[in-house]
Order: sequence, then structure tokens, then C-alpha cells
Amino acid sequence: MPQYMLLLRNNGDSWRKLSPDDMQKTIEKYLAWRKKPFVVGGAGLVDGSGRVVQKKSDSVRVTEGPFSESTEVMGGYYTIEAENYDEAVQLSRDNPNLDFGTIEIREVIVSHS
Amino acid sequence: MDELSSPVLLENLFRREAGRIVSWLAGLLGSNHLQLAEDAVQETMLRAVQTWSFQGIPEKPEAWLFRVAHNYAISALRRNISFEDKTDELIAALESRRQYVEDVDTEENLRDDELRMIFMCCHPQLAQNVQIALSLKLVGGFSVGEIARIFFTEEKTVAQQLVRAKRLIREQNLPLVMPHQAELQKRLNSVLDVVYLMFSGGYAAHTGEELIRRDVCLEALRLGRLVAASSMAAPRVDALVALMALQAARLPARTDAAGDLVLLEEQDRSLWDDALLALGFSYFDKSIVGGEISEWHIQAAIAATYASAESAETIDWPAILEHYDQLIEMAPSPIVALNRAVVVMKVHGSEASLAALAPLERDDALRRYHLLPAVRGRVLAELGRFAEAEVAFSAALECDCTNPEKRFLQRQLEMVRSG
Repeated sequence: MPQYMLLLRNNGDSWRKLSPDDMQKTIEKYLAWRKKPFVVGGAGLVDGSGRVVQKKSDSVRVTEGPFSESTEVMGGYYTIEAENYDEAVQLSRDNPNLDFGTIEIREVIVSHS
Repeated sequence: MDELSSPVLLENLFRREAGRIVSWLAGLLGSNHLQLAEDAVQETMLRAVQTWSFQGIPEKPEAWLFRVAHNYAISALRRNISFEDKTDELIAALESRRQYVEDVDTEENLRDDELRMIFMCCHPQLAQNVQIALSLKLVGGFSVGEIARIFFTEEKTVAQQLVRAKRLIREQNLPLVMPHQAELQKRLNSVLDVVYLMFSGGYAAHTGEELIRRDVCLEALRLGRLVAASSMAAPRVDALVALMALQAARLPARTDAAGDLVLLEEQDRSLWDDALLALGFSYFDKSIVGGEISEWHIQAAIAATYASAESAETIDWPAILEHYDQLIEMAPSPIVALNRAVVVMKVHGSEASLAALAPLERDDALRRYHLLPAVRGRVLAELGRFAEAEVAFSAALECDCTNPEKRFLQRQLEMVRSG
């Protein structure tokens, strides 16, 4: 079955404003979603760090993140299985990240070698 | 970190740990570093959301939270090495507790930190409403937004109160130590007052927010038990715990499915929480050992009399009236007198109740209090004086009250209109 990557971005401040109780509930929602049968994998990304490596003429230039132009940060990603984009969208509709930011869905090229 | 086989988190774990970690860190750093302790907790919880949400819950969640907060506090101090020359000492103090962080599962050691924190929050230099807000924030782990919702104030107001309180704590150097003997008993009384006001704030019936209100009641109960289990144990502390437990036991029956108020006498007793009732009675028994009789004892005795009746018909009203008479003598207040008037109706009839209400009509403290005309309306309706009852219920509806109460009064009003 085709696989899709869900890139979860959120406004870095949206979690910060939660009360401890709401933070706990948020974690529980993400974990409950993660347990769904179509989820193949995923990971969180460490906040506030990162490197961008670029080749400028002959030298490799490294800049430190955060580097995104928007205020949104990528919090993590999931890989899910779905028949097509429609289904992938459908499956993402109740992902808790939508309360805090956006989800970008990209189909993963699965090699059959 | 354990993938997906994650244990489920205990209910309110984060809120509880927030209070414990702030109390613990502030205990190590001193009350002039409250903000740092709070920041450490905030960052820790945030980090937990960012990682646990994807990786699952670590094996020892409490130890994880303590470790991250501990590390955050140390690195924040290192970054800010300039802000005080004592920074090195503070870092050393924190470093010395590194092993402790791994063994936090032992609840015992943290109790003293929490107790010192409550006693500081109730320092006489702080106004009582600030004492309540501060206790909820620092010990209870409630957010500013949650505290504002419970007490129907603006978030901004609560935030400002807390900022000012923390500045005062810093500037006046209010220490995180237990006061000395003479002061201790006085402070204990303020602590008990604050705990009960906290409880009442949660107990007040309001639409929606039911969960958070229950949490506040249970937090007040927990704090009461914390004090009762400490070296400050006293019969009046047990009495307060009994009172709160017996009242909290009724929470599930107090509103119906539509969120409407159900009067004590009409409550479905099978909905009362048996565990809380048992807890209440056991504390009550403990409280009456020894000679002390406090206001809390009498209030608890009233709650116990209600709770021990098999049904509404078998409530021992004369005993309750006696308790109220005693309470009036010990701590006269218009609210107690109003509650007493309701009981007078049960024991001596409506005319007597009306007579008991009469002097209260002139009391300034009750001028805008909806329950005075509400009780008056009920007594008048009982006497068949429906026109006057209608006036009374309309007057009650003019006062501030919660939505479930408003609907209740509206129903009473309609009932007397139709005679």
C-alpha cells in the first residue's frame, strides 16, 4: 500500500500557552492517534535546534536553525498507509496537531526492488 | 523511551507534578527564585509535549519531569551567572540533588516542600484572594487561565495579582520556612481558611467547567490531608478535611443530566461517592477525639448529619439546628444565620423561619445576595403567600448568580405564579 508522510508543523507558542493539565491531555491525544492501525512510524523533532547545510561556490556553508521563514516549527512527522491522497487526508482529519498548526501530506516513494 | 507500549498517565499527573516540582526547586533555590522554578516547570512540560507526543511516555514519567526541570534550572542559572553572586552556590545546591531526582517516586520527601510552600502562600502580607490564587498556581499546578475561570475573574487580573505577589515575596524576602510556634497556629488558621475557600470556589455550581471545578475541590481536599498528616496535625484540621470530604461526596448528585441544580433533599443518594463519605466519616471520628471544638467541627457535624441520614425524610433536623445555634454563637455571620433560617423552617415551621429571616433583611452584607430572597420566597410559598413569594423570587433573579441557580429560581418563580 502507498505510504504518506505527515509533516506536522505548529506555531511554537501554541503549546506553551497550555496549562499543565491541558498539556497532559494533548500528549494523550497524540499518543492515541499514534496507535491507529494505519500509522507505520513517526518521530518528534527536537525543538529550537537544527542545521542547514548549503554549498556556496566551493565551500559548504552551515547555518544554525531555527531557519524556517514562518513562525511555524516542524514538531514531528508520521508515516501512514493509505490508498491515495483522499484517504490520507481523510485519515488526518482528526489528528490533534490540527488544533495547533498544520499538516503537510506527501506521498513517499516506496521502492520495490 | 518505550515505544507505544506506553503506560497511561495518571489523571492530573502534570498538574500534580507541576506543584511538586515548583515546591521542590523553590525549596532549593529560595523564594526569591520562584520565577525560575516556575519557568523550569513550564519548559519541562512543554518538552514533554514535544517528545512524549511522538515517542511515547517514558518508563518513569515523574523522574523524567524532575530531571528535565532540574537540568533546566541549572543551565538557566549558568546562563545568568551575572544576576547574583550566589549563583555558584545555587548551582552547587542543585547539583547535590542530582541523585535525588532519580528517586522522586518517594512521595514522602516532597510533602515538606509542599507544606512550606502553602504556608508561604498564606503569609499575612498577602491578601486572602491572592493567597488562594497563589496556592492554586504554585502548589496546585493550575494555570492562570484556569484560576480565572474558577473565580470568574479576568485572566489579566489574576496574572497581575500573581506578579505582584511574587514581587512582594522577593522584596520582603518571605521565606519558605515554617513560622515559629506563636505565629504557626495563626498561620495554620489562614491556611485552613484558604483551603476551604479554594474548596468552596470549586464547589460553587456553575455551568460547564465541571471537571476543573471538581479538580479544585479535590486539590483542596488533598492539601487539607497533607496538613492533617504533618506535624501541624490538629483536631480542627481533621474536622476541615471531614467537612470537605463529606461535601465533595455529594458533587456527582448535585446537578442533574441537564446541568440543573438538585437540592440536597432531592438528591439521588446512590450517586454520592462512597469512598469520600467513608473518608469524611473517618476524619470526623478522628477530629472529635480530644476536647477542641472549632468552627470546622460544627460545620463538619452538620455535613455528617446530612450524610448519615438514610433518606431525605430521616434527616435529623433538630440536631442540625442545634449545630447551627452553636455555630452562630461561636462565629456569628449573616450567611450562617441565613442557613439556620432554612433549618428553622424544618424544625419550627415557616412562620418561625420568616421571623428568623426578618433581621437579615436589614443586613448590608446580604443586600445583593440572591439566596436571601430565594429562601424568603421558598418560605412564603410554603405559607401559601404566592404573590409575595413571586416578588421575592424576582428579587433573587435580579442578583448575581450562576446559570444553574438562575434556572432553578426561574422554575420556582413559575411555580408560585401558577400557585
